Amino acid sequence: MHRRSFLQSAASIAAVSASPLFGRRARAQGKNVLRMGFADEVLTLDPIKTVYGPDILIQGIMFSRLLRASADRKQLFPGLAASHEISEDGKTYTFKLADAKFSDGSPITAEDVAFSYTRMRFQKDSAYAGPFTALEKTEAVDSKTVVMHLNKKFTPFIQNVEIWNSGIVPKAAVEQLGDDKFAQTPVSSGPFRLVEWKKGDRVILEKNPNYYRPGLPYLDGIEILYVPDDNTRVSMLRAGEIDMLLGAPYQLISQLAAEGFQATPEPSSIINELLINHSTEPFNNIQVRQAVSLGIDRQAIADAVTLGLGKPASSLMAPVLNYFNTDLPVPVRDVAKAKELLAQAGKPNLSFDLLISAGLAAEERTAVLIQSQLAEVGVTANITKVDSTQEWNSLVDGTYQATLNWWYNETPDPDIALRWAIWGAGENKSYYTRYNSDKVNELLEQGAAAPEGDGRKAIYYEAQKIAYEEVAQIGLFYPPYRNVYSPKVKDMKLNPGLQFSTIDEVKLEG
Amino acid sequence: MDRFAFVLRRPLQLVPVLIGISLVTFILVQLMPGDPVRVMLGPRASEEAIRIVRARYGLDQPILLQYGYYIVNVLRADFGRSLAFRAPVIDVILARLVPTVCLLVYGLVLSVAFTVALSIAAARRPGAWVDQTVRLFCVAGLGLPSFWLGLMLIMLFSLRLKLFPVSGFGDSLPDVLWHLFLPALTIAIAVTPILTRNLRATLVTQSAADYAVAGRSKGLSENYVFFRHVFPNSLLPTISLLGIVVSFLIGGTVVVETVFNVPGMGQLMVRAVLLRDYFIVQGVTLFFAVGVVLTSFVVDIVTVALDPRVKL
Repeated sequence: MHRRSFLQSAASIAAVSASPLFGRRARAQGKNVLRMGFADEVLTLDPIKTVYGPDILIQGIMFSRLLRASADRKQLFPGLAASHEISEDGKTYTFKLADAKFSDGSPITAEDVAFSYTRMRFQKDSAYAGPFTALEKTEAVDSKTVVMHLNKKFTPFIQNVEIWNSGIVPKAAVEQLGDDKFAQTPVSSGPFRLVEWKKGDRVILEKNPNYYRPGLPYLDGIEILYVPDDNTRVSMLRAGEIDMLLGAPYQLISQLAAEGFQATPEPSSIINELLINHSTEPFNNIQVRQAVSLGIDRQAIADAVTLGLGKPASSLMAPVLNYFNTDLPVPVRDVAKAKELLAQAGKPNLSFDLLISAGLAAEERTAVLIQSQLAEVGVTANITKVDSTQEWNSLVDGTYQATLNWWYNETPDPDIALRWAIWGAGENKSYYTRYNSDKVNELLEQGAAAPEGDGRKAIYYEAQKIAYEEVAQIGLFYPPYRNVYSPKVKDMKLNPGLQFSTIDEVKLEG
Repeated sequence: MDRFAFVLRRPLQLVPVLIGISLVTFILVQLMPGDPVRVMLGPRASEEAIRIVRARYGLDQPILLQYGYYIVNVLRADFGRSLAFRAPVIDVILARLVPTVCLLVYGLVLSVAFTVALSIAAARRPGAWVDQTVRLFCVAGLGLPSFWLGLMLIMLFSLRLKLFPVSGFGDSLPDVLWHLFLPALTIAIAVTPILTRNLRATLVTQSAADYAVAGRSKGLSENYVFFRHVFPNSLLPTISLLGIVVSFLIGGTVVVETVFNVPGMGQLMVRAVLLRDYFIVQGVTLFFAVGVVLTSFVVDIVTVALDPRVKL
């Protein structure tokens, strides 16, 4: 090619590409497609393989469970099971299945339910079998009847059958495809089924025509877009490229609300806390724990980090959970008392390492506030920033003194929550704090077996009170979810257990 | 054709380069603190599930053995499986390759167009107001960080004027050109000043060279001298520089891809590092390395083709 003609053609290509007249969005998007912006990427579509946030959300949308939760998760309705019965001794659960089909048109049978539960409970790489340890055996009695045998009376069980990882998967498809392939191209039982998973970009779902709830879902489809950058996610919402986003920066929430977006913070079951290692100095001393707890101003931290949207913590579980102990006050900061306790403990010049994840702005802000508040008590907190997975490894190995962390709870029942947070007999040793109170451990076993009512309430109140008095951990604040929806989106809500439990009833208008 | 012979032997040099790169990335990745399995399963996953997945990917083996397996597999063109995506590395990378290549090419086409236009405008009358304006643009363009510039372009062209989308890639060629315009422009604004300064300076020097004076003295028009003689003779240094800029950009699309949410290799790399997805990090690094070597190879060929005096 002659050089000049090369330059000319290059120039004309540049001119054409600069023109905005070309191509107004060629992608065929049914107008009823909800586009969601996630900060983290979906990694697997097999509900038993993960406890990772974005996976939990999409799996909850794709796989129906035996029971179905209301939008706020407070009530349970019949799901794939039309009815259920619990035996007198509380150890046998019988579920009668509704007429339902998988997204490939095959019927959902008792065999599939037994397969799904056995897989989730007993397959070795099932990531979250913990809530189902009481389940010994699941069997299909006939094509519509499933019986589950527990090894003990376990009241929370009926709520646990709504947890996302107990979603029903088709036995035939899993066996035919194998686990790895099924995780990429699953057959679903929920309101939406997979069209295409463009890794690193988006997951495209369409309405499942075989969904068991008649006339639902209202949406034609859902696209879940992976948008790691906070500012870009907000810009996309403003430009109408997504219809909702998860996790808006706190400082933008009121502004987005003023622009007409639905930005009311939704209650979550998240608690942010300071985890302390009971197995080593200095937090193996109760006076030190009490002193540090009294030295921290929870309200100030909640105000600074969540800009007033979060509430200071009293108990070690979130207030949306059942049997949350409302009698426990938020500890009031008392510098003099804290100094006195430290003097009694013989540690007037206490210092400890506070491990935090590098790069998380909210965590860094919290750490700096704790550091300055404790400095007035005469305690030195040395902030050490590490990679988040390294923080986890230190937590698991018990090679830390104090660290910031947070968690949420799937069910409104406090069983899973308190077993996660303060059950020293569990695999995670009270959230890796090594807090171990025989009394609390015993209470949690009693609570799990007790029937709903005042007796059960008293047990859980007592367990929370002991952990509060012994300062098992230092709860800091209860943050809300920070999801923002376009005004077109109707009836969409993330429940406190991190599920869009009524996604099949969500509409797009206008 | 023998002046090309040496150039054509260049790909052979790729082999030791790639072995070195694979060893260095493997060691660096292993030195990164953290645990990929815990990230991908989520912190609340049971210890047993974490142990099993770790074993499945051979992460419980001694490091030297892991490297041995890795090299043997790479020689068989098997780059391993992504830990996070549970899919072959090569598939994950190929899915991301097209957006990055499109973005790079688009950005470079814009940069070259801007560079040629601005340099010519500036060099025709050195010191005139056009030249000064171009210089001002160059200084400003060099000083603006890409993430900030990208955000400003989004606010102006996407949110206010609604001419271009904030994010994404697109399906057809016009759609891709439309989606990638702002990210490509961001790249162009960063790259153009570097190239323009170089090309303008060469143009000015060459305009005063003996052959230009000789041309003018035999009565050729200023335009003819400039475009027929000065301009082609000034291109070579800028093309060499362009090669360096491209090599730099191959690894440098990270910021632009993140701001505009383009599902490309840069974004994949950041994600893989955060997730400790060892095999993706290694795979992407190898791809980047090949890209850099290929770029210098292409520049060599172009240089030899354009300038008969060059003998390598």
